[in-house]
This record gives sequence, structure tokens and C-alpha cells, in this order.
Amino acid sequence: MKSILFISYFIFLCFVCFFSYLFVDKNLEFLSLLFSGFSSSNRFYTAAIYTGIVIIFFLFYLLFIRFFSNNKLYGKDIKKLIVLTCVVLFFSYPAMLSYDIFNYILTAKVAFFYHENPYIAMPNEFVNDPFLSFTRATNKVALYGPVWIILSGFPHVMGFGNFVLTLFGFKLVVLIFYLLSLLILKRISGNDMVVLLFGLNPLVILETLVSAHNDILMIFLVLFAIYLAKTKKLFYMIIFFTLSFLIKYSTIALLPIFIYIFIKTVRREQLNWSKIYLVSAALMFLVFLVSPIREEMYAWYAMWFLSFVVLQYKNKTLNYLSVSLCFGLLLRYVPFIYLGTYLQPTPAIKEILTFVPTTLFILYYAIKKKI
Amino acid sequence: MIRYYWISLLTLVLFIFFSSVSFAQSDYVLPYPSSMPGSIFYKLNLIKEEILKYWYFGDFGQFHFNLKQSDKYLVEAKTLFEYKQYFLGLNALNKSRVYYNKSYPFLLKARSKGKDERNNLILFESASARHIEILLKMRSEVPEEFTWEPEKSPPTKLYLHKEIENSINDRKT
Repeated sequence: MKSILFISYFIFLCFVCFFSYLFVDKNLEFLSLLFSGFSSSNRFYTAAIYTGIVIIFFLFYLLFIRFFSNNKLYGKDIKKLIVLTCVVLFFSYPAMLSYDIFNYILTAKVAFFYHENPYIAMPNEFVNDPFLSFTRATNKVALYGPVWIILSGFPHVMGFGNFVLTLFGFKLVVLIFYLLSLLILKRISGNDMVVLLFGLNPLVILETLVSAHNDILMIFLVLFAIYLAKTKKLFYMIIFFTLSFLIKYSTIALLPIFIYIFIKTVRREQLNWSKIYLVSAALMFLVFLVSPIREEMYAWYAMWFLSFVVLQYKNKTLNYLSVSLCFGLLLRYVPFIYLGTYLQPTPAIKEILTFVPTTLFILYYAIKKKI
Repeated sequence: MIRYYWISLLTLVLFIFFSSVSFAQSDYVLPYPSSMPGSIFYKLNLIKEEILKYWYFGDFGQFHFNLKQSDKYLVEAKTLFEYKQYFLGLNALNKSRVYYNKSYPFLLKARSKGKDERNNLILFESASARHIEILLKMRSEVPEEFTWEPEKSPPTKLYLHKEIENSINDRKT
């Protein structure tokens, strides 16, 4: 049974990897051999297949949770599943759902190739740069923190000026931090369920291992700060927390938590870690909720609170609630894949799709508990 | 009688022709005047300026930094001249000139490194045109010379028109 599960999951991952290449941009001359135009010329089928992928991904996820709870899967099986996911999806095309990776690459190029300050020089100032033809939002200066800019120098250098190498260099950095995050979650909780809940969550997988969003670096650093707080290394805690919000700023919302931890530890008072995780999850959820003020509620922002929610692994309701939200968030991509426009009705459908699964779950829960 | 008619007509034609000659209007937007010399914020701004010099690294960064500073000091000079603070105004005008002259070489440097500087060159030309507009207006509003008499040192003659013209010539070249 277990081997069937593993094999079917492997085949499914391979299909996801193959499917991602249907989104190769026609302007991306570096991968022109792989351009099919399928996603733009067969919008209905692409949207349908993507929806199918999301549903199957979540079915596997729920199956893994069930099997693990029933002792049919163990810690080592979870590790195998994670390694399998990493190996297959590392080779996926990252701009299937978001083009952010191109911005990472171009911003790194502004800093380390053109030797310009990416907070001042916009990528579109480098008129003849070949990356401009497939990169979106080139009229913006760097959006991320300086720690990310510095770290992005590694894949940039490792790429030796080759676009494909650089692209996969960025994916490798994200993959390493994904694994480090799982390692630190295991260290913090001492429980494989936490690793499963976070590491095999389809949203985390798609947004990290496929789309290569840098949020995972911020998450690792903040989790590592929590781990250092637990081991009472307050100086390093401050350093890593600072590094974390200098990746993408949103973890600054956890500043009150870290001040609280600092004061309590200095006073040698007991800390209720369960409550700390819960409040951290609530704060990060708050930041997630207000994110549309800046731009919109992007699916990968869910990782911000999810990394703390999973530490409350005994709270099944909270975890299933976040799973339903993750499902809705991944469905946000469907309207654009189908309609090919960011204009109405795409935003309206996106909002509906995001909250329908959560609303249904709340209704189901209310009926079940006879509230 | 006819002679007078032709002279009047010629005068009118020449007046219409020459009065219609004007410098091209630039869309380039200059900043608001910031704090002025004598204020504590002015000193803080000078420190900020020193720090920003390093923040704006890179050829395009340095180009933008120098042009922004040139804009800032030009506006400062204009404001000070309006308040008849000719000595301080002249200082600001000279700072604007120094920064202006520093900005263009960074575009040349960028070009020599293979960076496409065309967009920034357009920006630079537009800024130059706007600077000239402001300087011409400034020249028409200030006296040609001004004797500045400080309390503890001998009087100094400030050649305002000459300095403004030098600034205009820099922008034209």
C-alpha cells in the first residue's frame, strides 16, 4: 500500500513538473526550445488541469496526514516523501504561477553585474538587457530587504552569466532554505507531524519548490530565531530575527513577541511556547490579511502564518482551517490561467475562490459541532 | 506718410517675431525648496547628503545623486535670491553647478561599461533645459552686481549675472 502511494505520488510530481513547462514564456529565448504556447492557446484545458492538480495535491496531503496519524507512515517515510518532492520539483519551471523569480534574477543582476544600487536603479534603466523581455514590473526598484539582495548574489555568481544556471541556482537556494526550515521545525517541535504539515502542504510545495519564492528564507530565519530563543541564546536570537525581517519585512510584526521572549528570559520566567506560537500565527495572519493594502493577497503569503500554525499541530481545527484557506489560495490562480487577464472579472472570481473553501469548512465544522 | 507706415509695419513684424522666440519648456519637475541655511535641519541635510553619496553607488546611482543635488541647490539658490540673500544664494548656485558638472561624466562612464544610458541622457537633457529656464528667470530678477558687506571682513563684490551666465553656459554645453 505504502509503495503504491509513493509511486503514484512520484508519477503525480513528474506530471506537475511536466505541466509547469507548458507555461514557458514565448519571450524567454533562453528556453525557446521548450516553448509550446499551450497554456495561452488552451486556457480552458490548462485551468482545468491546474485545478485537478491542486485537488490531487490536497488529496495526497490529507492522505499523508491520515496515514501518519494511523501509524501507517513514519518519520523516515515523511523524509523520503520530502526528498522525492524536492528532487522532482527542483527541475520544474518556476514561472508557472508567478514571475517573481525573474525579478529576483534581474535585481541581483542590477546589484552584482551592473554594480548599481537596486533600491535606486530600476531594471528598465538597462534598456538593452535581454532579461527585460520576459520580466514583469521592471519599472520598480528592489522590493525586498538587503539581506535578500546579498543572498541573491550567490546564485547570481554561481550562474556564471548563464541564465538557465542562474535560474536553477535561485531554485537551489530556495530548496536549501526549505529543507533548513523543515529541520528547524523538527528541532523546535520534536515532532514529525509538524514537518509533514508544513513540508508537504501543497501551497508550500508549489510556492517554494516550483515558484521559488524567497519567503521561505524569511521563515527559516524567524524560526531559527525562535529556536535560539528556546535555547536561551538571546543575542543570536536578535541577530536572526533582524536578518529575517531584512529579507521581506513582514516578520517585523513579530517584534512584540521577541521583546516579550527577551524580557521573560532575562527575568528567568517560564514561557508558554504554545501561546507564543499561537499569537505569532495570529500576528502573521493579520499581516497576511492587510497585505491587499499594498498589492494583493498572494497565495505564498500564507506561508507566513502557516509556519506557526503547524507548531500548533494538536489543534486540528486550526490546521484544517488553514488547509482549507491554502486550497482556496491556490485556486486564486485559476481565473487568470483561464481568462488571461488581470482585469475584471478575474479579481472578483479570485476573491470568491479564495474564501469559498474556508467558508464551507466553517459551515461543515459548525454543523458537525452543532454550534 | 508711406515711409512711416512701412516703419510701423516693420516694427510690428519684428516685435511679433522676436517676442515669439522663447526657450523650449521642459516637463522636468524640480523639487520643493528644502530647509535653508541657518536652520538646524539644513545642517542635518548636509550630513544626509554625505551619507546619500555612498548610498547612490554605481554610475547611474551617482548620476541620479548628482543631478538631484544640483536640482536641490538650484531651487535653494532661486529661493535665496528671491529673499535677496545674494551671498548664500550664490553659494547654492555654485554647489548646484558643481553637482551638475559631476553628473554627466557618470553617464559617459556607464556608456564605456556597456550600459545603455539613453534614457538617462534624455532625463539629463530635460533637466538641463529646465535649469536654463530657471537660471534665465533668475538673471532677470537679480542685480548685475551686489556688494556684500560682512560684519568682520572687508566687503566683497558679487558678480551675480556673470555667475548665473556661467551656470547657463555649463548647462548649454
